[in-house]
Amino acid sequence: MSIDVKHLAKLARLRIEDDKLAKFEKDMESIVAMVEQLPALDGDASGLDPEHPMKLREDIEGTEKIARKELLANAPQMQAGCVVVPKTVE
Amino acid sequence: MELYEKSAHELSEMLSKKECSSEEITLSVLDRAEATEPKVGAYLTICREEALKKARELDNRLTKQARHPLAGIPIGIKDNISTKGLLTTCASKMLYNYVPPFDAFVMERVNGADMIVTGKLNMDEFAMGSSTENSHFKKTHNPHDLDRVPGGSSGGSAAAVAAGSAVVSLGSDTGGSIRMPASYCGVVGLKPTYGSVSRYGLVAFASSLDQIGPLARNVTDCAMLYGLICGHDGMDATSADREYPDFAKGLNSNVKGLKIGIPAEYFGEGVDESVKTSVMAAVRELEKQGAEIVEISLPSTKYALNAYYIISSAEASSNLARFDGVKYGYRAEGYESLTDMYEKTRSEGFGDEVKRRIMLGTFVLSSGFFDAYYKKAKLVALDIVREFNEAFEKCDVIATPATPSTAFRLGENMGDPTKMYAADICTVTVNIAGLPAISVPCGNIAGLPVGLQFIGRKFSEQTLLNAAFAVEKNIGEAAAVNF
Repeated sequence: MSIDVKHLAKLARLRIEDDKLAKFEKDMESIVAMVEQLPALDGDASGLDPEHPMKLREDIEGTEKIARKELLANAPQMQAGCVVVPKTVE
Repeated sequence: MELYEKSAHELSEMLSKKECSSEEITLSVLDRAEATEPKVGAYLTICREEALKKARELDNRLTKQARHPLAGIPIGIKDNISTKGLLTTCASKMLYNYVPPFDAFVMERVNGADMIVTGKLNMDEFAMGSSTENSHFKKTHNPHDLDRVPGGSSGGSAAAVAAGSAVVSLGSDTGGSIRMPASYCGVVGLKPTYGSVSRYGLVAFASSLDQIGPLARNVTDCAMLYGLICGHDGMDATSADREYPDFAKGLNSNVKGLKIGIPAEYFGEGVDESVKTSVMAAVRELEKQGAEIVEISLPSTKYALNAYYIISSAEASSNLARFDGVKYGYRAEGYESLTDMYEKTRSEGFGDEVKRRIMLGTFVLSSGFFDAYYKKAKLVALDIVREFNEAFEKCDVIATPATPSTAFRLGENMGDPTKMYAADICTVTVNIAGLPAISVPCGNIAGLPVGLQFIGRKFSEQTLLNAAFAVEKNIGEAAAVNF
């Protein structure tokens, strides 16, 4: 199967440089050719186990607190306690 | 014998008898790291001053208080486990400057026991790889042969323990990332039952498969460290709420009556003859000591690798969407819009293998392909679970090679991703089924270690550790590699 790497990259918010495109196409095609060898199975794939249902926690406020300043310390660009991103609304 | 060569349980006893101090141990391990790092390259960050300071404080304090058996023992941590105030890069340019504001659950346990963190260990970028060659920062070399890979993705965790630059370490295993490097580097590595160790603070790759686990030079240390990190955590919705025994105390090498399943599918094509011979020789030895060999069949194994790469990449494509240059880590320079910033940041921040997996995940989840890939892979996963359940009606543990070959040469598989993926053939089924498995050294081929893998029922870690303990009794404990 031929893989449209440019389109896939766009969906995944990636960009593949033109000089690397051929290599990525070849790699992706051989990977897909490998993984698509699967038996013809049909059924419910949810894998839910009614005997061992997952327990969800109560929807309550957490007790762990991390200061805003600490959380924002890793942001690449910050101003007045907010992260800065390019303008999104004209 | 230098202190860095000693096992955690020996050091623990020496500490309690005051035959040495934690500072002396830590210094010995850090000096060993200084000597071996130029050749091995296991660490991304070494915290020499912090480690020595903590060891000194501990030495002063421990004279007065009860101590955890692992208190004062140095430990290395894989760089995808969040360590508060300490760089956690996942070996990616994307997180080159990321300092977590919180500790992972396992780090709370490690710090709570007063273990000494010597540093953060190299890995394949975001744990995607089987050789640690996908690290953005450096290559790690196998201490047994410096021209060869340590395996991956927890290559730094295995290489440091093998070289003596860590006494024990933590790694993570999504498709074999603890067991495979343990096998290549001749150390013990345990991938615990899914849900037994909290994933809180582990940077997510494939959430339904990821599990943190211990690596050590012997089974006893591995059991001690596993006992420390397992347990329930409300911060991980998949964490199992149950009681665990004292695994190290429960160690028993008596295999009389133990039923060992041998699946033909793991001894077939694609696995080196010498590896099969080495693994079977170790199993036959257990048979002589009273274990029973049972032939079993796991036919869906032939689809496991394909199902694994579909499921893990699908989850990765979603998990790695968070790296967008807004909240943390790398941000590209010179962008025109928000989308442009996302695309530039992610293209410059991720390496090629991570990009391939994100695109594979995007592909198998896209409309029109979902049923043919993702749904089928999940159905294969259910078959794998069913076959394991049937097999465990006939046996207590399953023995297989941990890897299809011994460590390959640096660069050998880098040009061909599917060849690299094939190195995971013996380990991925375990993650798909959520089972525990351990790799224990069982021999050498041309100077390179071979790992025997035991797979068990869910939460049967004690049985696995005991079986591995029996192999270790026959073969001998691994020593820190001299080079």
